[in-house]
Amino acid sequence: MSFAERMLKIDRRIIFVVIALCTLLPLLYPVGLPIKISQEVRGVYDHIESLPERSVILLSLDFDPASKPELYPQAVAILRHAFKKNLRVVAMTLWVSGTGMADELLTKVANESGKQRGADYVFLGWSPGGTAVIINMGQDLYNAFPSDYGSKPTKGQPVLEGVNSLKDVTYAVSLGAGNPGVEAWYVFGKDKYKFELGGGCTGVMAPGLYPLLRSGQINGLIGGLRGAAEYESLIGQKGRAVAGMDAQSATHVAIIVLVALCNMFYFTLRRQARQQGSQS
Amino acid sequence: MRSLAAALLAERRVSARRGWEGENRELFEHPVEMNVVMGPMISNRGRRWDLFRLVIFIYACLAGLVPSLGWAEGMLLRPANVQAFDTPNDGGESLTVNWAPGPLDSPDARYQVLLGDAGATDAASLKVIAEFPAQTRLVKDLKGPWWTRTAERNWHQFVIRNGKGVALKDGTAYTVTVAVLKGEERMVGPLLQAAPTPNWFNWNLVNNLVLTLIFGGVVFFSIAQAKRRDIFLRRIPGLDAVDEAIGRATELGKPILYLTGAHDMSDPSTIAAAVILGRVAKKTAAYETELLVPHRDPITMAVCQEITKQAYLEAGKPDLFKEDSNFFITSDQFSYTAAVDGIMLRKQPAANFFMGSYFAEALLLTETGASTGAIQIAGTDSDHQLPFFVTTCDYTLIGEELYAASAYLSREPVQLGTLRGQDIGKAMILSVIAIGILLATLGVATQAAWPQYFLDFFKDVK
Amino acid sequence: MIFLRRQMPLLITMITGLIFAGQYYVPHPASEQLLTSATKWLQIIGGFALVLGVTSLFQVHAAKIRRKEAGWGYSMVLYAGMLGTMAVGWWANGKESVEGVSTAFGWVYNFMMVPLQGTMFAILAFFIASAAYRSFRARSREAAVLLIAAVIVMMGRVPLGEYLVPISGDISQWILNVLNASVRRAILIGVSLGAVALSFKIIFGVERSYLGGGKE
Repeated sequence: MSFAERMLKIDRRIIFVVIALCTLLPLLYPVGLPIKISQEVRGVYDHIESLPERSVILLSLDFDPASKPELYPQAVAILRHAFKKNLRVVAMTLWVSGTGMADELLTKVANESGKQRGADYVFLGWSPGGTAVIINMGQDLYNAFPSDYGSKPTKGQPVLEGVNSLKDVTYAVSLGAGNPGVEAWYVFGKDKYKFELGGGCTGVMAPGLYPLLRSGQINGLIGGLRGAAEYESLIGQKGRAVAGMDAQSATHVAIIVLVALCNMFYFTLRRQARQQGSQS
Repeated sequence: MRSLAAALLAERRVSARRGWEGENRELFEHPVEMNVVMGPMISNRGRRWDLFRLVIFIYACLAGLVPSLGWAEGMLLRPANVQAFDTPNDGGESLTVNWAPGPLDSPDARYQVLLGDAGATDAASLKVIAEFPAQTRLVKDLKGPWWTRTAERNWHQFVIRNGKGVALKDGTAYTVTVAVLKGEERMVGPLLQAAPTPNWFNWNLVNNLVLTLIFGGVVFFSIAQAKRRDIFLRRIPGLDAVDEAIGRATELGKPILYLTGAHDMSDPSTIAAAVILGRVAKKTAAYETELLVPHRDPITMAVCQEITKQAYLEAGKPDLFKEDSNFFITSDQFSYTAAVDGIMLRKQPAANFFMGSYFAEALLLTETGASTGAIQIAGTDSDHQLPFFVTTCDYTLIGEELYAASAYLSREPVQLGTLRGQDIGKAMILSVIAIGILLATLGVATQAAWPQYFLDFFKDVK
Repeated sequence: MIFLRRQMPLLITMITGLIFAGQYYVPHPASEQLLTSATKWLQIIGGFALVLGVTSLFQVHAAKIRRKEAGWGYSMVLYAGMLGTMAVGWWANGKESVEGVSTAFGWVYNFMMVPLQGTMFAILAFFIASAAYRSFRARSREAAVLLIAAVIVMMGRVPLGEYLVPISGDISQWILNVLNASVRRAILIGVSLGAVALSFKIIFGVERSYLGGGKE
């Protein structure tokens, strides 16, 4: 077996070690490379920035702990921005396994911004039905969520004053790791009940949502950790995402090097095979 | 002459600031049509000056100059041709106001929309529900198609909806009007009555209905055609490999793993996956190969159990059917993935089928499958996961090929006809895209306006 | 019986299919109310379906334990995990925390589910690298184009890539916005037409294999 052949059949655990090191080392020794802001992320930021005080922003945290590394920093950045702008935040989730995490994150950022539950923000929690919940909220928010996550009746909470359904929401942002997520909020929410919608998703899903972005079905898109880092830079509060960008940079470069090496070995093998073919 | 007429009428114009404060204090004196003309007469200035102005004014009236003088440049006029009515094509609780563009629609002028209870005769009793620059809220800026427009393209339109301080009730009449503001001045339009009512058909969507019906017609026509004559179907290598995969599993004495995706039975991709499962199950029954179908949705599991049972019956091997070949794991994404990966590593299936919709679990499943050396066939409409399937599977059905799969495997006229119908639909869409590109290019190249009319037509009909 | 098994489901499918296809075009509150009621029915049926799923899960693993099949110990872990979580869930009334204090259910959620799910998702990064190394080869011209595009996008999406090749950011944005979006639209058009055609066939009873039956 030639060297190229051996390299192509390398034990995948070696690749795993390379990736682990490329992730770990930059986290331990951060470099802090500058981050360029994209138009997609600016779309969400600018819209929130343009909202008048006490406008209602709906944040649907449609992800579970699995997508926490990418979507949690996005949620933190958006919440910090919304609270800084003194907007009323209505948070919820369509993923049952994300309920506890969403509540914890909302409480943490609200406490840090000095906001009151019930007056400045509310966490509606989770309701069964997936996309059906969006339709029900479009009809009557209080019917879909008679009580919030803390079992307090939603009707009468100052944060929901003047909000009866999705039609009364000024801006909605879905941070989705799959289905139901951004697409479901467009199809069953925005298209039917006419409110402005922004999105956030994992890095893997982002290219799939570009058609929605280009056609104006969503007015901005925060894609993966990179998007979160851009948003953190925009609000001037650098956090987990910016810290993680160095690790992501190193991992991307490592994958590029691996792909280049594998192609080099592949072409070496092919040339060898051709030479052998011409000799025989 | 013009400036004189403006000066004559200016006295009667109510200052916007003063008027608004007056409204708040219930002192606002709203304009009355006749008094606009008589206004100069009740000026506070000297009587002689007033008399002089009156003579000039009467002279101007007699000379027929009032309209041109009245609509003079820099002059603020009441919003003209104001119409208020129930918003058409909606679920009720909404009113629409249209009015003609004014001669002073400039960036520094603003419009206000006022709303109050029925029977209100005083603008002071109305509430300002919206205020915006005078050059905005034009009919042409709205997204609605041309066939439901209620005014000219350059007219103003404002839709009053519930929420944000407005609570309209169906069947109840309201008083609506529009006011124009410029600097210190404010003019209020006529007070109109309108009542919101819900509608039974949304004519904005009639294009959608017509296109869907046409497409449905094409599909059924194609099915009828397919029953009469053969239809050519291009090769789909991924489906040719199904037999090979099942054969290989039989030779090795290993099971076949079939996944139906992340969605439930309401998703067409899951239905397509279930339909293909029927064909695969029929072959596994014929070859007497073990079939494993782990599920994420209990209803999909129940449906697939029936499909598999029927397939074994049709293959003449009902005794080989196992109730637990279809089993539920969990609806949680990564718990399911971990369980299926475990099955792959323990049972070492010879062939893995990934049909339906997938998310981040796609690569975790297919890469584990690849590491066991199984032959892997994927079919998905989850375009965001296609790169992973293409990289790690032996064959991948891309997008609609998943829907075409059942036609390819069964060769039934109904299925083949549907495919032909889809192709005709695609050809129609492609033709419109091509014509649109041509027209847009012509419009830019020749600077002509006519291509835009066609493009607007396509845009509305789409 | 045949009517109940064959014609009846087809009839229900046709009637409800047509009603809810029509519902999209009717903005009247009565139509919206119909949709809300139907979605609630779906939620209720979904709840009962979960019982079906859990029963299947219990049966499959009970059989494994009874027959002492290979890996039956995992089935025991499944039973312990499921029953244990259900017990603490009931105990905590389904809440992870009460007034900021974590419950036993919250402990299970935060210290078992969160790290386990995070681990599964994190494996993705390793699998992407290994899959790329194993399969991402320029075997043909098309594959070479794909490879170059992938490298540019990977460079352009991270600060280090933009730092090393400054133009990569703009090119990757162009690839995502123009090439990627247009290709995805093309796939979407095909998928949507396929979905509409399948829906027509199901509504009008032309496609009935999903009901678990062959030809009449």
